[in-house]
Amino acid sequence: MSLPTSARGVLGHFALPREALAAAAKVRDAGYTHFDLLTPFPVHGMDEAMGVGPSWVPWVSAALAFGGILTAQVMMNYIMVIDWPLNFGGKPAFAWPSFIPVTFELMVLFAAVGSAIVAIWAGKKDTVPQPPAMLIATGATIDKFVVWISATDARFDPAATLAFVASLGARDVHLVDAQGGSHAA
Amino acid sequence: MNPSSPYATVLDDRGLFGRPVVERGAGPCGGDVEIDEPLVTGNKRYADVDRDICLHTERFPTGRWWVAFGIALAFLSLLVFALVTLFYVGIGIVAPNGSVGWGTFIVNFVFWIGIGHAGTLISAVLFLFRQRWRTAINRSAEAMTLFAVACAGIFPLIHLGRVWFAYWLVPIPNGRGPLWINFNSALAWDIFAISTYGIVSLVFWYMGMLPDLATVRDRATHVWRKRLYHALALGWNGSSRAWRHYEAAYLVLAGLATPLVFSVHTIVSFDFATSIIPGWHTTIFPPYFVIGAIFSGFAMVITLMTIMRSVFNLKNYITINHMEAMAKVIMLTGMLVGFAYVTEFFMAWYSGNEYEGFIFRNRAFGPFSWAYAMMFTCNAIVPQVFWCKAMRRHPVVLFVVAILVNVGMWFERFVIVVTSLHRDFLPSSWATFALTRFDWMILLGSFGLFFTLFLLFVRAVPTIAISEIKGIMDPTVAARSEGAPS
Repeated sequence: MSLPTSARGVLGHFALPREALAAAAKVRDAGYTHFDLLTPFPVHGMDEAMGVGPSWVPWVSAALAFGGILTAQVMMNYIMVIDWPLNFGGKPAFAWPSFIPVTFELMVLFAAVGSAIVAIWAGKKDTVPQPPAMLIATGATIDKFVVWISATDARFDPAATLAFVASLGARDVHLVDAQGGSHAA
Repeated sequence: MNPSSPYATVLDDRGLFGRPVVERGAGPCGGDVEIDEPLVTGNKRYADVDRDICLHTERFPTGRWWVAFGIALAFLSLLVFALVTLFYVGIGIVAPNGSVGWGTFIVNFVFWIGIGHAGTLISAVLFLFRQRWRTAINRSAEAMTLFAVACAGIFPLIHLGRVWFAYWLVPIPNGRGPLWINFNSALAWDIFAISTYGIVSLVFWYMGMLPDLATVRDRATHVWRKRLYHALALGWNGSSRAWRHYEAAYLVLAGLATPLVFSVHTIVSFDFATSIIPGWHTTIFPPYFVIGAIFSGFAMVITLMTIMRSVFNLKNYITINHMEAMAKVIMLTGMLVGFAYVTEFFMAWYSGNEYEGFIFRNRAFGPFSWAYAMMFTCNAIVPQVFWCKAMRRHPVVLFVVAILVNVGMWFERFVIVVTSLHRDFLPSSWATFALTRFDWMILLGSFGLFFTLFLLFVRAVPTIAISEIKGIMDPTVAARSEGAPS
C-alpha cells in the first residue's frame, strides 16, 4: 500500500459513545493534541477524556452581562438625570429602584445573545483543522462517533497514525489526502 | 446488545405505566433496583430517530396539514382585515371605552405572553433541574413561545391607537424635545422585557436547533435543500471541541432565561400592580401572574402535543409519561392559581378597605359574575381531575382539560382587566363592556397567526430536539447496526 505524501489527517469511527470516550483518552495519552471527536450528541466526560478543559465562554458571558448593566445604567442616567430630568412630585431624578427592571433585561439580552454568538464562533475558531465535510457527512450528525487526528499535529505520521487509530478499535479507518480523497488503512 | 434494557423492550404507550420498574433483589447487596421507564419507546436506533423526526420536513405535506393550514390562514386573514379596518377607521370600532380603557387588547396581550412562558420554563428551568423528559417537548414548546410572543407583541402596539408612532416607545435620540420615555413607568419596562424575551427565546431556540439543522443538512438529497440547511447549520459538524463551547453557552442561556421568564411576567404584572386601581394594586400579582402564565402555557403545550404526537406519529418520543408529567404541572399550578384567587378575597376582607372589598364582591357577584365563574371553574376546579392517575394518562381527558384551562386563563385576564375598571371610585363613570365583532376578529385572528406560524414550523425544522433525544437513549440499544435484532 502506498500512502500519499501530503495528508490532512486520519479518520475512523465508533458505534458507541463509551468507545469514543475511551479512544479520546488513548489519543490524548499518546501525546496527540490536534485531534477531535465528531459526535451526534455531546458525550458526557469528553472534555476530560480529550484533555481540553472547560470552555471559556462563560467568562465572556459574565463580561457581556456587565456590559449590559453598564449600558442600561449609562442610558437611563443620561436620559432621566442629565439630559431631561422631570419632576415627579419632587422625587429624585435618579430613581434607582425604577432602573432595576431595564438594567436586568439589558444584562440578560447582552449576555444571552453575545454568549450564543461567541460560542458558535469559538466552535469554528478555537479548534483544530477539521476533516472535509463530505467524508463525515453520512455519520457524525446521525449515529457515528468519529475520531479525527489532524496532520498538523507534531506527532502525526501517516503510517503510524493510521495504525494507531486502527489499534483503538475504530472501524473504517482512512487517511485523508490534501485533495480530500480517502485511502483505507 | 442489551435485551434487558427497557429501551429495547417497551414498544409503545401500552408498555408504560408511569412508575419505575422494580427489579427485586437485583441490587449489589441484594436490595431492589428501581429503573426509570424509558423516555423513548419502540426499540429505536439513532438513525430511526432522524428518520422519524425529519420525515415531516422531507416529504410533501399531507392533506390534513393543508386543511389545518387553510383554516389557520383563514383566521389570519380575519386578523389582517380587522387590523387594516382598525388602522383606517380608528380605535372606536373596538370595545374599550372611557371607563374600561384597557380592554381586549391588554387581555389578549397578557394571555399570549403567558402562553409563551411554558416554553421557556420547559427549555430553561427544566434543563437546569435536569428533567430529562423535557427533551421530547422543548423544541416545539420553544417554538410555541416564539409564536406566542409574536402574537402578544401585536397588542400593545395596536393599543397605542396610533400604531405608526410605535417607535416612540423606544428611547432613541430624537428631535421632539428631546422627548424620552419615562423609565419610572412599568409600561417602559415592559418594552424592554418583551423585546428581550422575544430575542432571547429566538436565540435559545436557534442555538438548540443548530445540531439538528446539521442532521437535516446531512440527510438532504436535493441540492437546494442541502444548500439551505447548510447555511442554517452554520457549518456544524459535531466536533467535540465545538460541543464544549456549545454546551457551556447553552447552560449560560438556560441560566439567563430562567430569571428572565420570571421577570417578564413579573413586569407584565407591574403594569397593573403599580397602579392604584382596587383589584390591581396588590403585592401578590407577580407570583400570581407567573404561576398563571406557566399554567396556561402548559395547557397550550398539552393541546399542541396531543395533536402533534398523533398526527406526526411521534408517540414513541412524546410518550404518555411525558403527557402525565405535564398534567402534574397543570394540577400543581392550577391549585396555586386557585390559591391566589382565594387569597385575593381574603386580603380584600382582611384589609378592611371598602374599595377593595367592593371590587371583589363585584367580581364574583356583579354583572361579570359569569366570567368569574368561568375562570374559577376552568382554572381551579377542572384540573382537580388530575388527582386520578387514569385521568392524567387519558389523551382525551388531557386535551379537554387543556382547552378548558386555556379558555379559563383568557377569562382570568378578562376578569382582572375589565371588572377592576368598569366600576371604579366614581360611580358616574361606571360603564359596561362588551366585545365588538372586531374584538372577536382580532382575538380569533391572533390564533390564526399562531397556528399558521406553528404549522410552518412543523414543516421546516425538526419538531423534536434530535441530538438531545439521542443523548438520553440507551446507547447499547440505539447504536446497534441496521437490521440487527434488539
